[in-house]
Amino acid sequence: MREFLLESPLTPEFLTFLKSFGTVKEYPHMKRPYFSFEQEHFISLKGFVGDSSVEVRYRKEFFDLTSDYFHLLLFYAKQGESGARKMLEITDSIREKMKVRLPR
Amino acid sequence: MGNNPGISPLIYLNNAATTWPKPPEVLDEVAQCLKIPFFEHGRSTAGSATDYPSETRLVLAGLFHAENPDHFIFTQNATDSLNLLIHGFVKKQKASFHAITTDLEHNSVLRPLNTLAGDGKLTISTVPSEDGYIPLREMKKAVRPETRLIVMSHGSNVLGTLQDVQPVADLCADNDIFLVVDGAQTAGQVPINLSAISGGAFVFTGHKALFGIPGIGGFYLNDPETTAPVRQGGTGTDSRSLAQPVEMPQKFEAGTHNYTGIASLLAGIRFIEREGQDKITTKGRNLATLFLQEIKNDPNIILYTPAPDLPVVSFNIRNLDNDEAGYILAKAYNIITRTGLHCAPLVHDRIDGGKGCIRVSFSYLNTPEECRAAGEAVREVAEGANR
Repeated sequence: MREFLLESPLTPEFLTFLKSFGTVKEYPHMKRPYFSFEQEHFISLKGFVGDSSVEVRYRKEFFDLTSDYFHLLLFYAKQGESGARKMLEITDSIREKMKVRLPR
Repeated sequence: MGNNPGISPLIYLNNAATTWPKPPEVLDEVAQCLKIPFFEHGRSTAGSATDYPSETRLVLAGLFHAENPDHFIFTQNATDSLNLLIHGFVKKQKASFHAITTDLEHNSVLRPLNTLAGDGKLTISTVPSEDGYIPLREMKKAVRPETRLIVMSHGSNVLGTLQDVQPVADLCADNDIFLVVDGAQTAGQVPINLSAISGGAFVFTGHKALFGIPGIGGFYLNDPETTAPVRQGGTGTDSRSLAQPVEMPQKFEAGTHNYTGIASLLAGIRFIEREGQDKITTKGRNLATLFLQEIKNDPNIILYTPAPDLPVVSFNIRNLDNDEAGYILAKAYNIITRTGLHCAPLVHDRIDGGKGCIRVSFSYLNTPEECRAAGEAVREVAEGANR
């Protein structure tokens, strides 16, 4: 688990972007609007919309493949549809490498 | 309490894991202990140094009403104690035997027993709890002619229930069974009378309700012949002999003591004696009751401990994973709880389908205001998860 302090707060748009890659749970009525993100085998996130810190958890067995994944999500989220396409390509490529290690 | 800039003051409610803060005299004693060379038996030492192990055995004997201070053995923690006692007992047995435990146990009991079962050293029966309590009739039903060991917790770290150990001790005495009582949750929290478990062993840890620092624990062993030492080494006594001394406490203690840990334990017990064990017990129950009053009528909160004996309250919030609830409480309210399985997997199978829960646990040093604030925060999170 790692806690990252981001340059700018997490936005609702970033959450919308995340939905293409895994399951986003949103609780907007909390004291601070909480969200979590889960992408099986990749990463899970916990944080608050409008907050600059986020907790990122990795699966130990795939950490070598996913250690940069959160940063890539942040980077490509800023690039609109072309960023989403590129991120899906990266995700598929990582998933292919994971398949080799997953039990059949 | 410590402060985190920008948000509410820290409310620490994970005292069933490790109490925090410690009484100031505990911190002072640890610092004092490090200022001069340690007093070590059988070795030259500064004259004014405190003999922490001997003094602490005496205060432990006083607090727990134990007959023989030298039968207190220092270890790292309750897990270490349980491992030493269980593995040592197995070492003494000539053949595989039957052991009994309960579904309330911590992995510090379950894992050593299951490891030994895997090695063919013993078989295990697990007695199921009913509403957090181990029925004596079920314990009696589990006893077989080849039963030699019962390991059970005195207080549940998940449900906060307190077991009546005396009838089980009597059952053990009648059937030549070695009883090991895990007092990790109860030592320092409730009055302990070790004369009630004559023939057995009582395990404690220093870093919970005894207010010591992490890394110190121990056990009390009535009859040193019931279990064998699994560690051997220097004791500062009888050094010509290549065999481990048979006298207590050297029989089970080898190597340099954790002096700072023992010093913290000494100061923690003196704090308990000064405040009064009964007062500490009562305050713990009152704090738990106060917190329960805050949350018990909320339909979005699933309570697992409607009336705990110890200051431990476990619950879940509908439509919110316990892990996420713990995160929200920590980050948005600065309230530290413990979430998940609490290292007691079997009890979770019974109460929450094995998913785990949120646990809040109070210390004598928590305040009613903190309880109310925590209750209010939990209600607010429950509402936010269900709107």
